[in-house]
Amino acid sequence: MDLLEARLEQALLLKRVVEAIKDLVQDCNFDCNDSGIALQAMDNSHVALVSMMLKAEAFSPYRCDRNIALGINLTSLTKVLRCAQNDDILTLKAEDAPDIVNLTFESSESDRISEYDIKLMDIDQEHLGIPETEYAATISMPSAEFQRICRDLMALSESVSIEATKEGVKFSCIGDIGNGSVTLRNHANVEKPELNMEIELTEPVALTFSLKYLVNFCKATALSGTVKLCLSNEVPLLVEYGLAGSSYLRFYLAPKDRGLGGGDASNWLGSSDVVDKVRDNLQTGLFLGAGAETRAPEELAIAAMRIKVRYNIYV
Amino acid sequence: MGIKHLYQVISEHAPDAIKTGEIKNQFGRKVAIVSNPVTVYLASILIWRQDAFLIAVRSDGQQLMNETGETTSHLMGMFYRTLRVVDNGIKPLYVFDGAPPKLKSGELAKRVMRKAEATEAHEEAKETGTAEDVEKFSRRTVRVTREHNEECKRLLKLMGVPYIDAPTEAEAQCAVLARAQKVYAAASEDMDTLCFDSPILLRHLTFSEQRKEPILEIHLEKVLAGLDMNRSQFVDLCILLGCDYLDPIPKVGPNTALKLIRDYKTLEGVVEFIEKDPKHKYTIPEDWPYKEARDLFFHPDVRPADDPLCDFKWESPDIEGLVQFLVTEKGFNEDRVRSAAARLQKNLKSSQQQRLEGFFKPVPKTAEEKAKLKRKNEEKNEEKKKKQKAEQKAKKEAKGKPRGAA
Repeated sequence: MDLLEARLEQALLLKRVVEAIKDLVQDCNFDCNDSGIALQAMDNSHVALVSMMLKAEAFSPYRCDRNIALGINLTSLTKVLRCAQNDDILTLKAEDAPDIVNLTFESSESDRISEYDIKLMDIDQEHLGIPETEYAATISMPSAEFQRICRDLMALSESVSIEATKEGVKFSCIGDIGNGSVTLRNHANVEKPELNMEIELTEPVALTFSLKYLVNFCKATALSGTVKLCLSNEVPLLVEYGLAGSSYLRFYLAPKDRGLGGGDASNWLGSSDVVDKVRDNLQTGLFLGAGAETRAPEELAIAAMRIKVRYNIYV
Repeated sequence: MGIKHLYQVISEHAPDAIKTGEIKNQFGRKVAIVSNPVTVYLASILIWRQDAFLIAVRSDGQQLMNETGETTSHLMGMFYRTLRVVDNGIKPLYVFDGAPPKLKSGELAKRVMRKAEATEAHEEAKETGTAEDVEKFSRRTVRVTREHNEECKRLLKLMGVPYIDAPTEAEAQCAVLARAQKVYAAASEDMDTLCFDSPILLRHLTFSEQRKEPILEIHLEKVLAGLDMNRSQFVDLCILLGCDYLDPIPKVGPNTALKLIRDYKTLEGVVEFIEKDPKHKYTIPEDWPYKEARDLFFHPDVRPADDPLCDFKWESPDIEGLVQFLVTEKGFNEDRVRSAAARLQKNLKSSQQQRLEGFFKPVPKTAEEKAKLKRKNEEKNEEKKKKQKAEQKAKKEAKGKPRGAA
């Protein structure tokens, strides 16, 4: 008698999930219990974290009699999932204290049934506790738009700074060949609600992230039309792709340099000639928008600090 | 050098204290690296060997030298090892050995130190080199000079990498820095770093890429939990296993040492047992000042972590200075030095990517999970022992059979 049996109407869902995370994580445990199948794993450098939850409702039927962890190599799982067609019915099965997991693909059109077993691994994984966070800014936007921004800016630089204010969100980067930015404003499209762009904000935020990781997260674009970015100063970014029901695929990414607003800030704010320099500096425009020369000195000082923190200019 | 068989004991009784991983896993961390003359020398001889392979012919077995005949292999070793560490996003900090600590009888300490150095070098060379290497090595160990150390320091300064001279043992200094969270871990091949109370020890960090050795991360807390000991018992165990300061007690191996400490709790108890044992199974060496040795582990001569000298800064490399030193004075290839310096500049100064552990903390394992893990480890050990036994048996049988009998 199997301990776990989970039947998925379309193999496509699992295919896409695994496709989205397999470059970030090599081996991981699928933790199965009566509420569904969960996965949590960090990348090699411990900079990004994947957290997946496929709720029991995503399956029909779903049965899991006792908590089990299935340690699976994602490259192997990808190989087997390639043998399934997108609209095949997929069933996951495992016994008590299993050393294999069984995948069955039933064709929706013909009577073809294929069955594969994958050997399980013993993975001793550390679970990270993710605290409940009230994010200062929550941005929902079309996932394809986010993917495009990341790819476009990746051409110029390794990192992107994301700044969210009441008016909108600005993705900007500076690289060797020059700089670039994309600004999105709140936008409601009545005819095409999937193109909506919404910002919920309690305070403005500005953080810098590695584009390499963001581009990697965007492999999940096919899973959902919209993506949610949650930011607070000084905490990891949350990128969430919602799936049917309340299932989800989430990515967390640690920010770059904590300098902003920290103890070192006073050093940068110290000299007034720095502020003057910045006033003359074109980069100011990038942070304050047009009319930089009319802004208050404090604002300029903050901009100066940001510029320095971001590009590691030490005076 | 180090503690005899300690690694073996830990891997058997506290396997979850050891994590293996790639150098990438250490990304974004600050690490204090022990740089005693022997390690620098080892690094250099390994580099020299690789180069010897590349050039194919170097049969006279000379070290890398520049045109004027000065040895440069220690610099080569230091330079490229450090570069690899920095390339992987790690911020290194070197700790140089000071004078060896004086045990009660200074002569004993000196003798043991000398012996230990020669043996370690020997062991290492045996592992990696040919018989000639081993021989050459033992002759040369003594020749690592103060000058080499000074040159290494000059190189580090030019590279913008901080270093500190430990008053005595570098391992002890590293441990203090790691305890005070000035650095994430102490990197050393020497297991006695754990006795000095370093929370985390990294082994194999500065091994070359070619050796494909995984990096071992050993957590002291988990070692103590796995052995079910407190720190003073652990130090006593290490002394019993055989440390740098004292000769081991004959016939006491890892299993006996563990059993003795478990039965009698302290070295005092163990010594009393051995002396009173009517069977005189073990004999304690004549000069065995274990209390002094223990004191060296508990109160080593170190700079406190809040000393101004322990305020470390990673700076931009002095590119022209590096070129002057390595190219003009030491005859390195200029293109290589310049591209390496550019890499240093990029890595040491680029905005630092943070790690997730700074924000999300690992969930402690529940008692049930711990018990399960322990059971699993025990099963694994059992299996290993069975396998060993079976192998031995098979060997015996093979020997017993007369040759040629089908």
